Amino acid sequence: MNKEFKPRITSFLCKWCSYTGADLAGTSRLQYSTSIIPLQVMCSSRVDPVFLLKAYLSGSDGVLLGGCHPGDCHYETGNYHTRRRFALVKEVFESLGLESERLKLSWISASEGPKFARVANEYTEEIRKLGENPTRKSIFL
Amino acid sequence: MSSITIEKSASKGINDLLRHLLSTGKVDAVLAMRMMPDTGAWDLALVTDVKNLKELKPLAPVMTVNASQVLSNLSLSGKKIAAVLKPCELRAFVERVKREQGSLENLFTISHTCGGVFPLDLVAEGKVDRLLPKYEKVVSAGEIPSNIRDTCKACEHFIPMNADIMVSAAGECKPGEGCMIYLNSDKAREALSECTGEHGSAVLDSTSLEKLATARAREREKLFSSIEKDCSGLDGLVNIFGKCVGCHGCSRVCPICYCTLCDFESINFDYNLPYFEEHLARKGALRLPPDTMLFHMGRLTHMSFSCVGCGMCSDVCPVGIPVAAVFSRTGESTASIFDYLPGRDVTEEIPVMIFKEEEFPELG
Amino acid sequence: MTETTGIPVVLKTDNGVETPVREFLGQMLDSGAVDALIMPLKVPSGDSFAWILLNDAGMLDDAVPFPAVMPVQGARALRSLTRKEKGDLTVLALMRPCEIRAGIELSKLGQVNTDNLILATYDCPGAIPLQDYVNDPESSEASFKEMFTTGEPGENAKPACRTCVNFSAVDSDLHFGFLGISDEGMLVIPGSTRGAELLQKMDIQSETGDKLLPLWKSEVESILKKRTAARDIAFKKTESDIKGFSGMLNVFSNCIGCHNCQSACPICYCRLCYFGSEASRSNPEALMNQAIKRGGISLPPERIMFHTGRLAHMSLSCVSCGQCSDACPVSIPVADVFSFVAEQTQSTFEYKAGRNDGKPLPLRDFKKSELPGVHELVKDAEPGGASHE
Ligand code: SF4
Ligand code: SF4
Ligand code: SF4
Ligand code: SF4
Ligand code: FES
Repeated sequence: MNKEFKPRITSFLCKWCSYTGADLAGTSRLQYSTSIIPLQVMCSSRVDPVFLLKAYLSGSDGVLLGGCHPGDCHYETGNYHTRRRFALVKEVFESLGLESERLKLSWISASEGPKFARVANEYTEEIRKLGENPTRKSIFL
Repeated sequence: MSSITIEKSASKGINDLLRHLLSTGKVDAVLAMRMMPDTGAWDLALVTDVKNLKELKPLAPVMTVNASQVLSNLSLSGKKIAAVLKPCELRAFVERVKREQGSLENLFTISHTCGGVFPLDLVAEGKVDRLLPKYEKVVSAGEIPSNIRDTCKACEHFIPMNADIMVSAAGECKPGEGCMIYLNSDKAREALSECTGEHGSAVLDSTSLEKLATARAREREKLFSSIEKDCSGLDGLVNIFGKCVGCHGCSRVCPICYCTLCDFESINFDYNLPYFEEHLARKGALRLPPDTMLFHMGRLTHMSFSCVGCGMCSDVCPVGIPVAAVFSRTGESTASIFDYLPGRDVTEEIPVMIFKEEEFPELG
Repeated sequence: MTETTGIPVVLKTDNGVETPVREFLGQMLDSGAVDALIMPLKVPSGDSFAWILLNDAGMLDDAVPFPAVMPVQGARALRSLTRKEKGDLTVLALMRPCEIRAGIELSKLGQVNTDNLILATYDCPGAIPLQDYVNDPESSEASFKEMFTTGEPGENAKPACRTCVNFSAVDSDLHFGFLGISDEGMLVIPGSTRGAELLQKMDIQSETGDKLLPLWKSEVESILKKRTAARDIAFKKTESDIKGFSGMLNVFSNCIGCHNCQSACPICYCRLCYFGSEASRSNPEALMNQAIKRGGISLPPERIMFHTGRLAHMSLSCVSCGQCSDACPVSIPVADVFSFVAEQTQSTFEYKAGRNDGKPLPLRDFKKSELPGVHELVKDAEPGGASHE
C-alpha cells in the first residue's frame, strides 16, 4: 500500500447539524483528517443522488454525506428522504459491483464535534485502506 | 371471476371484444397495434371508426413504442379508451400514473398473457407476418420463442396485473377452449354484459403457465449471468457502456423516463474550460462529450426501481448495448430493498417519495 | 476545392500512415504548439471508439488517427469542449471532413468556438456503418483497410460516404493528404494562415510537398468524379422514393419516433428539441378530435411533421455525414433523404454547409430582392397535400 496516498473525501454536510459539528470540532481544536473536503448544503436532502455519483466518478476517493439525526432535521423529514436515496445509490453501486464503501452516510448533530472528528478520521482510514478510487485514472468515463 | 369464452382464436376473439366496445359506444376509441394496410409497416393506432378495427392486430408480438408513453397524453382527453396493452406496458402506465403522467379513469385496460415481442429489427425487416405462425405455436405450448427480445425471454410478469380485461394468449390452451376473456373489474363486467360469447365464471389456470414461468426464470438467470462480469466493478461498467454514443435513445423510449428535459441533457452538465483542464492535469486525458457513465448510473438511480423490463432501451441502442438487461437486473435489486414491485398497485407509492421512520438501520 | 495556404510538408510513410501522424502530433504537443489533442481511442471493449481530449503524449500510442467508424460525430465533441467558454487552451482536433464541416456550421450557430481550435482533417475513404462495426470489428477493419488503400468507399461503407463529395480538401487548418502519392509519403497541407504558421513553427526538415501536390490534387479530382456520379444516381433514387406525400410516408413508415436521428445529428444542437417539447405536444382533446375526424390516427403523433420540421430547421447546415441513418433502430435511410433535400435547400441559397468562406447562414441574412420564383412555388404546390397523414 502506498504510504503517500492521501484520500480526498468530498463531504456534503448539512448547515444545521453536520457542518456545525465540523465547525465545533475545529473550534474545539480537535484534530481531524485533512482528507475531508467539506461542502455546506442546506439539508442532507439537498444532495441529489447524482451529486454523489458525480463526486465518485470525478475521482473522490470517498464521498461523505452528513446530516442531522433522524427526527432532528431542520426541515423535519428531509433526512428520512436522504436515507432512502442513499440506500438506493448504495444498492446501485452494489448491483454494479462498484465499491459502495466509497459512499458513507453519517448523522452528526451540531453539538457532536468529537463525533465528527471520529467519523472523519475513521472514514479516512477506511478509505486509505481501500486505496485510490479507480475513477481517478479512467479516461473512458 | 367473471369470464367470457368466444369460440374463436384469441386474436379473433379480442377483435370481437373491441368491436363490441366501440360499436356500442362503451368506448370512444381503441388503442392497439396495427399493421398498416398500404405499407405493411407496424404502428400503434388509435381507432375511432369501427370499420378501421380490422387493421388492428392487438395481440401481435410487436412493440414499436411502449404504449404507456402515448397513452399518458391520450388518457387525459376526457374520452373513453379501450387500450390493449402488453403486461409491461400496463405496469409502466401504472408507474406513469403514480408520477402524474396520465389517468386510469377513462380507460378500459385490456391485457393478455404475453409470449414476448419481436425485436424491432425483425419488425423493420417486415418479417413479422412470416414469423407469426411459428410464434403462435410455440407460445400456445407455453414455451419461449427463440427470436423474441432478450428481456421478454427473461420476463416473469407475463400475466397482467390489474387489467380490467384479460385475454388468455399464452400457455397451454386446451383444444376447443377458444378465446378466454377474464373480467376483473365492475366497469369491465358492466361494459361487456352484452358481448357475444359464453358468459361464465373462471379463473386463469395458472398451472398451464407454470412451465412457462419456470422457463422464464431460467432465462432470467441466464440473461443476468451473461452481464455479471460487466456488473462487477468499474472496468466492467466501462466495458459495457464504454461504446455508448450518448444518443440517449434509451431514455427517450423508456416509459419510466418521462422528463421533458432529462437532467443529463440540462445545463447542469455543461462545463467551463477549467473543468476540462483539471481533468487533463490529473489524468492526461478524458472523454468528450463527458459523463457517459454518469448518465447510465444516474438513470439507474433515478428510475431503475420502476423498470418494467420492456426492452425498448436495448432495441433502440445503435451500438447494441444490452441496456435493458442491466436496468432489469439493477432494478430488481433497487426495487427489492423497498419491497417494491413496479406496476403492482397504483396506490403503492414510489419508494423515493415516502419513507419509514425506522428503516435501514445499517446506514447513518 | 479549397485552396492551400502556404507550403505543404511531406511525412514519410514507410511505417504506414498512422505512425507519422502520431509522431507529428506528438511533436506538436511537445513543442507546445498545441496544448491538447482530440483524437479517437479504441474503447476497452474493443468494438468502437471514443473521442478523447488528451495532453499526455504517451497516450498517442493508443490513439487511432483514422478510425474505421464514426460513433460520435466529432463536432459534438468540439461543442462539449468549447460551447461555454473559449479560454486559452489551444486544441488540435483530427477528424473526418464531415466532422470538421459540422464543427464549422456549429461555430456559425454559436455552439462551437473555433478561436483556439486547430481543425485538422484528411482524405476520408468513408466509414463503416456503426452497427456493422460493432457486430464484427475484425472484418470491418479489414474492409476499412481496403477502402483506405484505394481511397474509395466501396460496398461496405456507409451509404452517405459512398456518395460524399466532400471527402477531401474541405476548409480546415491542416490537411493530411495521401491520395495518389502513397508511395512517396504523405502531405501535410496548410489550409489557413494559422495552419501555415503552425507548420512553420514546427520546422519540419523535409522536402517541400510542391512536387507532390499536383499528383494528390488530380487523384482527389478523379475520385471526386466517381463519387459525384454515385451521388447523382443516389439522389435520383431518393427523389423518386420520397415523391409526393405518400412517398415520404412510405420511406418513414417504420419510424417509431425515437428521435435518435436528431440526437445523433451534429447540427441539431438544441438542448430540448422543439419536437420533443411541451410546446409541440398535441393537447389530448385535439388529438382525440383528430382521431375522431379521421377514423383513427397513427401514434406517436406527428412523426412526419418531425422529419419535415427537422428538414426545415437544419437541412441548410446538413453536412451529409450519415449519422442519422447509423442511429436509426429501424434502418430508415434518413441521411439519404436529408442529404438530398439539403442539396436542394442549400443550392436555393447558393450556400454550402461547412465552408468557412465568410458567408452568413442563409436564414440569418436576406437581400431585398431575391428568390423571385418563391410565390409561384407556393401557388403551384399541391393543394391540401398534407391532409393524408
Ligand atoms: S441508446 Fe445506447 S448509445 Fe444511446 S445513450 Fe443509450 S446506451 Fe448509449
Ligand atoms: S429501462 Fe429499458 S427495460 Fe426498463 S422500463 Fe425503461 S425502456 Fe423498459
Ligand atoms: S441530418 Fe443526418 S446527414 Fe445531415 S448532418 Fe444531421 S446526421 Fe449528418
Ligand atoms: S431514428 Fe429512425 S425511428 Fe427514430 S425518429 Fe429517426 S427515423 Fe424515426
Ligand atoms: S437540515 Fe440537517 S438533515 Fe435536513
